[in-house]
Amino acid sequence: MRSVRWLLAVCGLWVGAVLADPPPGYDFVGFDAGLAAAKASGKPVFLYFGRYGCAWCDHTNKKTFSDPELKKLYSTHYVLVYVDAESGRRVTLPSGERITEAELGTRLNAFATPLFVYFTPKGEKIMQIPGFKTVQDFRDYDRYVRGGHYRDKTLLEFLGGKS
Amino acid sequence: MKAVLLLLGVLALPAQAAWQWDEPLTVNTAIGAAIFPHLESANRKGIAVSAGTVGVVWEDNRDGTPQCYLAVKPAAAATFRPEVRLSRGECYEPVLQALDGGRFVVAWEENGRVRGQVWPAGAAHDLSTRAAAQVTLASHGRALYAAWAEQAGRFRHIVVTRLDVQGEALRVDTPQPVEVGVPVDEQGWPALAISGDGDITVAWEDRRHRHTVPLVSHSRDHGRTFSAPARLADTRSGSVDGLGAGTGAMRPTLAARGARGVVAVWLDKRDFLSGYDVYAAFDAGERRFGRNLKVQDSFGDNIAQWHATVVADGEGRLVVLWDDARDGTADIWLTEWDGADFAEDFSFPGGAGPGAQSDPIASLDPAGALHVVWLDRGDAAGTRVRYARAVRR
Repeated sequence: MRSVRWLLAVCGLWVGAVLADPPPGYDFVGFDAGLAAAKASGKPVFLYFGRYGCAWCDHTNKKTFSDPELKKLYSTHYVLVYVDAESGRRVTLPSGERITEAELGTRLNAFATPLFVYFTPKGEKIMQIPGFKTVQDFRDYDRYVRGGHYRDKTLLEFLGGKS
Repeated sequence: MKAVLLLLGVLALPAQAAWQWDEPLTVNTAIGAAIFPHLESANRKGIAVSAGTVGVVWEDNRDGTPQCYLAVKPAAAATFRPEVRLSRGECYEPVLQALDGGRFVVAWEENGRVRGQVWPAGAAHDLSTRAAAQVTLASHGRALYAAWAEQAGRFRHIVVTRLDVQGEALRVDTPQPVEVGVPVDEQGWPALAISGDGDITVAWEDRRHRHTVPLVSHSRDHGRTFSAPARLADTRSGSVDGLGAGTGAMRPTLAARGARGVVAVWLDKRDFLSGYDVYAAFDAGERRFGRNLKVQDSFGDNIAQWHATVVADGEGRLVVLWDDARDGTADIWLTEWDGADFAEDFSFPGGAGPGAQSDPIASLDPAGALHVVWLDRGDAAGTRVRYARAVRR
C-alpha cells in the first residue's frame, strides 16, 4: 500500500510538472484521460493545444475563456483536454500509438499556438482552428460540431450560411 | 506545383551531388499497421558506428507495450541482423554510444528509471537510483558520460555522470546535478558533447523563465562542477503587452566539432507564425555560444521544421538534419556548414518522396561517411526504420 501511495505521488508530481497553461477554472484533463472520458460519455473532445508562456494563449484565456457563459457551454458539452506543445508527456493516439505531447504537434502540423482541435467521442478529428478566437467564434464552432454540420459542410460553408 | 518542385530539385542538386548515397536498407523486421517505431531520444542519439559496425536503437510496440530494440550491421555485412530486445518493462527513448571493436554502450528509460549496458556481452542494470528519463550519452577518447532528467522534488533537473567501461561491465559514478538546489520548474531533454579538450557541454530544455528556453552549462573538471547556466537562444524572456512569457524553443542537440568546439542546434519558434525553425550556435572553444543562425534555407521559411539534429567531427565536418513538408509531405532535409554559412538544403534518395520520411538521426564515422536513419511511413503496411550511408564524392 505504501509503495502504491509512493507511486501515485510520483506520478502526480510528474503530471503536475509537465502541465502548463490551460485557462484557469476549467476542468481540463490530459489527452488519454480525455479521450477515455469522451468515449464513455459520448461527448465530443475540445483539445486546447497550448504552449508554456505563449502570449496568444494568454490573450485567448483572458479575452475569451474568461467569459462565464462560454465556460459553462464548453464545460457542459465537451470533454476538455489540454496538451502542452513542448512537453515530453506521453499520450496514446486512437490508433494505439504512444507519442509525446510535442510529437502530437507534429502530427497535427501545428504551426502556431494556441491551436484548438475538435474530436468526435470516438477520437476522430473534426477540425482544427489555429490562433486567437473570440467568444462568438467558439459559439459558432460549437454549433457546427454539436449540430453535426461537419458531416456535410465545411466550416466555411457553415459560417457563410449563418444569419 | 510541379514546376516549383522541379526548381527546388534543381537548386538542391549541387549540395546533394556532393554525397554519394548507398541504396537504403530497412532496419526493423517487425512492420505492421499497428506497430509504431520511434526514434526520439535526448540529443537524438539512436545511431552509432563502432569499427565499421553500425548500431541503431529504437522503441516500438510489437510486443504489446513499448520496448526498446537494437539492430547492428557488421562492417562486412550487406544488411542489418535481426534486432534484439533490450528491455523487459515499458521502455522509451533509447540511445547508443560507440565503444571500440564493434561494441556499444546502450541506455534507455525503463519503468521510470534509466538503465544501461555494454553491448553485446554486458548485462543491463539501473544507472539512476531515482525516477529519471531522457538519458543521453557522449564520449571522447576513453571518457564516457551520461546525462538524464531526474526527479528532484516537484520537478526534474539535469544530472551528469561519468560512466566507466571495465570489460563488459558498465560502472556509474554518483550523478552530479548541473545546478545545486531544487529546480524551480521543469528541466528535460539534455544533450551532451565532450569537446576535443575534454570539456563537457550540457544543454537542456528549461522552464524557469515560465517558457521553454534551451540552457547550456560547461564543466572543465570532468563533471565535478558546472558553470552557471546560460541561454543558447539569443532571444529574451518576457511578456508582450503583459501577455505570455516569451517564445518557445526546444529539443537542443549538441555535437563536438574541431579541436575544441561545440555546435548546438535546436527548434526555435521566435518567428511564431511559421512553426519551429532550426537554429544553431557555435562555441569555438571559449565555452560561450555565439550569435544564433537560422539553419534551413529560405525555401523552408514558411514551413514548420521538426526533429532537428546535428552531427559533427574532429575534422570540422558538420551536418544538420531535420524533416519538413515543404514539398507537400514530410521529407528528410540536410544542410552542411560551409565555413561561413549553412549551404542550400538537400535531400537524398529514399529520404524524400511519397509518404512521410521523418525523424532523422545520424552519425559521422571516423572516415567522414554519413550514416542516416529515419522513419518511412510510405504506405499503409506500416512504418519502416530506414538506413542509408553516404560518402563524399
